[in-house]
Amino acid sequence: MRIFIFALQTALRSLWHEKWINLLTVLSISIGLLILSAFMTITLNIDFVLKRWSKDFGLVVYMNDGLSKDSEDALKNIFEKDPDVEGIKYIPKEQALQELRLALGLNSSILEGFENNPLPSSFELSLKREALKPELVERKAEQIKQMNGVEDVEYGEKWLSSLNTLSGVLKIGSLFLGSAVFIAIVFVTYSTIKIFFYRRKDEIETLKLLGATRSFIRLPFLLEGLLIGVLGGAASSLVLYGLYAFVIHKAPDYLPSVSAIMLYLPLKVYVPAPLAGAVTGFLGSFIAVGKIRY
Amino acid sequence: MIQFTNVSKFYDEDVVLKDISFTIEKGELAYITGPSGAGKTTLLKLIYCAERPDQGQIVVAHWDVGKLKQGTIPYLRRNVGIVFQDFRLLSNKTVFDNVALALRIHDMPPKEIKEKVSAVLKEVKISHKANTFPPHLSGGEQQRVVIARAMVSKPTVLLADEPTGNLDAETSKTITDLFKEINARGTTVLIATHNDALFHGTGRRVFHLRDNCIEKETIE
Repeated sequence: MRIFIFALQTALRSLWHEKWINLLTVLSISIGLLILSAFMTITLNIDFVLKRWSKDFGLVVYMNDGLSKDSEDALKNIFEKDPDVEGIKYIPKEQALQELRLALGLNSSILEGFENNPLPSSFELSLKREALKPELVERKAEQIKQMNGVEDVEYGEKWLSSLNTLSGVLKIGSLFLGSAVFIAIVFVTYSTIKIFFYRRKDEIETLKLLGATRSFIRLPFLLEGLLIGVLGGAASSLVLYGLYAFVIHKAPDYLPSVSAIMLYLPLKVYVPAPLAGAVTGFLGSFIAVGKIRY
Repeated sequence: MIQFTNVSKFYDEDVVLKDISFTIEKGELAYITGPSGAGKTTLLKLIYCAERPDQGQIVVAHWDVGKLKQGTIPYLRRNVGIVFQDFRLLSNKTVFDNVALALRIHDMPPKEIKEKVSAVLKEVKISHKANTFPPHLSGGEQQRVVIARAMVSKPTVLLADEPTGNLDAETSKTITDLFKEINARGTTVLIATHNDALFHGTGRRVFHLRDNCIEKETIE
């Protein structure tokens, strides 16, 4: 513990002593993490919008004309037991006709030509978010189509496909950007700590000759890298908070629709940046210090 | 305490030490002398494991130095105090902190560090400069600080490489007297020097290095 305190004091002293180069490193890290955090925030908002839209998405199961109440109930039971199904709405043929009439408005007179109600009864099934994958929905639609009493199944294939493509692009983008930022921060911290390590080469040699263990020599550098990372991450979170607050308060004045697609970010969104900074800073300094040989 | 058995050291093809054998007993004060380039510094480096022997065996206290793993070397060095000719003091730390550093690596409580450092600085008569930075000290004062740093953790062996190399005759005498005091307290001391005046008339054993071998062993 005493060694840890001594290492922390040494790291803090070095942070202050080398303040300009440290400030530059913190700024570089915070810019990298800010770009990543901003991208994540945008992804989060788009995901939020997609989630809201996906609530309206569902499978419409049209039943054979004249299907008995018993058979309809049997189908309903099957849908209720399906783990992918979130909600079920039964639309009797009379209601379907009424809705069509309302939709046609003045043109509803064309329905007068039919002797009987031409529309079938149907079930509208809303699916869970995780089940909204094109191949999964397609398979499910096929399965339902095979059931007794089912005439046809309809769903928004194209819409679902676009939604998933967008989601996939965002995920790949996050992964790519995340990796790039990760490598950049590790490299920036590595360079800074390597400079400090060379500057303190004489001190390190003396410590080795006095009998200092590797961890005693390494610890101040590792802590310094970690602190630089945390500071960079915290700075990026602060800027993100400020920017987000500004956009969410000011943007609706100019673009009213913005408020409909933007979330209020919970506090936990701001935690990963300092954490990511700590991990990458630590890793960069770990590589910079390298293997200590006596 | 220190035992060399047929030790040889080469740098590439060049022989630096050849077939060196000697023993320094526990509590002894001995000297190694010889012209520049005779291998005095290399011999000391072999003892604190800054160099490894290419042939032969070196035993320091209970450590077989040639076989030590990297992770064990620090623990050997904690038992071997070293006084360097070029001092190796940290210029950004005060005299007190330079000496305290040797105890901080032992994970000693601050109170104990303060007591021990104050005592050792008093012993080497430099306590009045405890808060001074090394660049503001004379050569003799810096050497005393180095001795204090080497002694503060009470090592069993003290090695000194040309400890009076940069000092005038009077300061050299003071430093030599310090080594004698340290030895009188039970520490084994080995001093490498090319200055004959340091060991003449001391009655101590002197190993004469010439052409990378021990040419002779005398009692002065």
